[in-house]
Amino acid sequence: MSFLELAGLVKSYGAVTVVKGVDLSVEKGQLVCLLGPSGCGKTTTLRLIAGFVAASGGEIRVGGQVVSSAAGTVPPEGRNMSMIFQSYALWPHMTVFQNVAYGLKLRKMSSEQINKRVREILTVTQLLPLEGRYPGELSGGQQQRVSLARALVVKPEILLLDEPLSNLDANLREEMRFEIRRLHDEFRYTTVYVTHDQSEAMTTADVIVVMNDGRIEQAGSPEDIYARPESEFVARFIGGTNILSGKRISDDTVHCDGDFILNCGSGTLAPSGRAIVSVRHHDIEISENRRWETNTVSGRVVRQIYLGSHRDYLVSIPGGETVRALSPVDVRLPVGSEAWLHFPPNDCRALAR
Amino acid sequence: MSATVVEGRRASVDLSVPIFLILGLLLSVLVILPLFWIIWYSFTSDGGGGFTLANFAALVTDPTLVRAYAIAIGMAFAVGVLSCLVATPMAWLVARTDLPGRRFFRMLITASFVTPPFLGAIAYEILAAPNSGIVNVAFRSLFGLDSSTVLVNIYTFTGLVFAIACFTFPYVFTLVANALDKVPSDLEDASAILGGGAMTTLRKVTFPLVLPAMLAGTLIAILQSLTMFGSPAIIALPAGFHVITTKIWSLFQFPPRLGLAAAAAIPLLVITVMLLRAQKAILGRKGYTVLGGKSGTPRINTLGNWKWAAMAFVLTVLSLTIFLPYGAILKTAFTNTAGDPITWETLTLRHWRFVLFEFSATQLALRNTFLLGILTATIVTAIALVTAYLVTRRSIAGAGYLGVLATAPVAIPGIVLGVGLFLSYANPTFQLYGTLWILLIAFMTIELPAGYQQMSSSFAGVHPELEEAGRIMGASRLRTLWDITAPLLRTSVVAAWCFVFVGTIRELSATILLTTANTKLVSVIIYDLNESGDLGAICVLGILLLVASFAVVYIANRVPVLGGSQMNARG
Repeated sequence: MSFLELAGLVKSYGAVTVVKGVDLSVEKGQLVCLLGPSGCGKTTTLRLIAGFVAASGGEIRVGGQVVSSAAGTVPPEGRNMSMIFQSYALWPHMTVFQNVAYGLKLRKMSSEQINKRVREILTVTQLLPLEGRYPGELSGGQQQRVSLARALVVKPEILLLDEPLSNLDANLREEMRFEIRRLHDEFRYTTVYVTHDQSEAMTTADVIVVMNDGRIEQAGSPEDIYARPESEFVARFIGGTNILSGKRISDDTVHCDGDFILNCGSGTLAPSGRAIVSVRHHDIEISENRRWETNTVSGRVVRQIYLGSHRDYLVSIPGGETVRALSPVDVRLPVGSEAWLHFPPNDCRALAR
Repeated sequence: MSATVVEGRRASVDLSVPIFLILGLLLSVLVILPLFWIIWYSFTSDGGGGFTLANFAALVTDPTLVRAYAIAIGMAFAVGVLSCLVATPMAWLVARTDLPGRRFFRMLITASFVTPPFLGAIAYEILAAPNSGIVNVAFRSLFGLDSSTVLVNIYTFTGLVFAIACFTFPYVFTLVANALDKVPSDLEDASAILGGGAMTTLRKVTFPLVLPAMLAGTLIAILQSLTMFGSPAIIALPAGFHVITTKIWSLFQFPPRLGLAAAAAIPLLVITVMLLRAQKAILGRKGYTVLGGKSGTPRINTLGNWKWAAMAFVLTVLSLTIFLPYGAILKTAFTNTAGDPITWETLTLRHWRFVLFEFSATQLALRNTFLLGILTATIVTAIALVTAYLVTRRSIAGAGYLGVLATAPVAIPGIVLGVGLFLSYANPTFQLYGTLWILLIAFMTIELPAGYQQMSSSFAGVHPELEEAGRIMGASRLRTLWDITAPLLRTSVVAAWCFVFVGTIRELSATILLTTANTKLVSVIIYDLNESGDLGAICVLGILLLVASFAVVYIANRVPVLGGSQMNARG
């Protein structure tokens, strides 16, 4: 039995259902990322786990005990979780020390114990020299670390993060990603992390849960999600890809619209309807003449950009599709010329939906 | 899998539902009951008590009523236009130029909100009454003219418009100056870089951007003057004409014609609602008034040689609206008669002795006024706090309804509310007429919107995640309110309390219909003394009111326990 379980979780606001039956199991000590575009229900799912919103259906269980169901909700203060908010939500009238100590005070610890624990966590997060400052006197990154320290100091059973890095500038964001992962490796709290940034999810998560329209699209390790997407949505959302479609010939063979045959090395096509295949930009090979027998088609170069480490081609192929391909810099094809594209079978992923 | 609810789950008693119901009931009674009785009485015959439409017919056929409405509307628009014409250039000079002393001028105008308009009217009575007015006396003695020469006469329609505009122009000024503060300089820079000169930029960019604020401020000035009782009663009645508020009041004099008064109040209510809707529509146009404040400081224009002309203009306006009236009040309080020259012989404290020790009504009125001020401020702040919490945190379905109720009285002019409360509570069932209770109810209703708006905007300023952070760290709802929300709101609560207190102790429009000999308030005494012509005593009382108002604001801003925030201008 997993530590945190969501079973058939549903949340509706009047006629609008934002979470449409989410099933998810999180093992103790795992860091799970809920990833999806805005409006996909990921933040609502997180707030359901926190107990800020009551479930309309299904259950949330922690350690086998129900904390949320349509019948009732354990209030957030009764869940022994902690959370890092998008706005950091540092209390402006309390110093860094007071902010961090608040949760311990509520747990009725002695002031020596509180002092010791707060100092420890402030040391880990490199905030000790700032303990007497007010949040308004800190930079964005420092505020973020206070927010982390405040959440970690109470040793929560479950740590929740709601887009914690979205208010930071790009450099700091990258740094904090590794910081969060480092702290997770150090403390191993069961963590649920909401983000819309795929690279953030790739760097931090043990398990990525891709959500779309209130449902889980796919859950798996970052490698699973990237290399073995199961749906067009996941393939497009993670990493960017070309989607080719056509008539299904067999479980792994498609007759594409541009009148060429694609053999797929992995995945399964939908049993009926249109067949779709995903090929990542950098897996496609490109050449000025035909060098391959199968999985190949010719098109015309529409755009070519030199990017130092590689070239970025846009090639329009028969059937109206435009394929984006990244090639080594020594492959030089001028705009307007003919180009042969090769889709290596092992990199062609057949998608079921 | 056995799914049981976690042990020790707190079955906390949820107080929000009972509180919601009690508040809903209270606010409904406060707002709906007086309106109901106004409508009921407006269809009731003053003669026999049966159903009638005669009261409404009289609104059209009775020439005194029609005339009172016509004059009131004309006066209100004249005041609005005058306020706008004076306030807009003032606001621009103070907000966007290098005029020397502009911060001080701005502070002074903001502070002048505290002046009760009726006191201003009395100041102008002292200054510009045809015979005894200081200006006329001085003018005659300067040129050796006889007593038939009158330079200025406040007891005219023009005089009334002028006296009211002196005390409504801060509304326009504050809105326009704040709007000018928020016009980001890059919008003006964009115009300049495209070749727009300073005047073109002002005309084509800055002006259109603050136009909504100007219109909104003007509408407030119109509304204020239309529903004002004190100033017209002091100036229009001696001049021999009525505006609608004084006309409604006169219908309460013996023999009372309550049905007609109720019917006469209804158009005033309708006009108020329409004006407020218009104001909301003007200010609510998104992207037009929601001016981004991130684009740096507003551009300051250099006046150069125009500085002296601008200074003269600002000083003239300030003299007319602040220096002269306050000077007149001070002088009158300390000299025998207003027209006396100031010498050591004419200085006297006899008005102070009279007011504080000899005049029997003063002490009672002072006690009543401060008692009601403190009670109203405390109750309104408490109600506003809880209502704003329920509404902004949407912790209960239908909470928005409370917000509507708490805001609704803003559309009920004081005199209309006075009529409604008289009809609701001065009857054998309640018998509240002649008690302080009816005044307390009136003040609570009048001040609720201001208090509520203050509280709800400060709740909106406290990010919900701050409270959620408290909850998830393990604090209960109440504990979170106490540890986190309350400290963050403290300064707003204090500001709202002051706001309501200052508003209460100067109220006259509703009070005048609800007060009796036992429940006199300072504002009413001032009005009574004006009828008997005792200007010295009035000025002493006026100074006491002003000192009390400023003292409360000062204490609230200085005492650290109370928070020390800036007091917002009264809107």
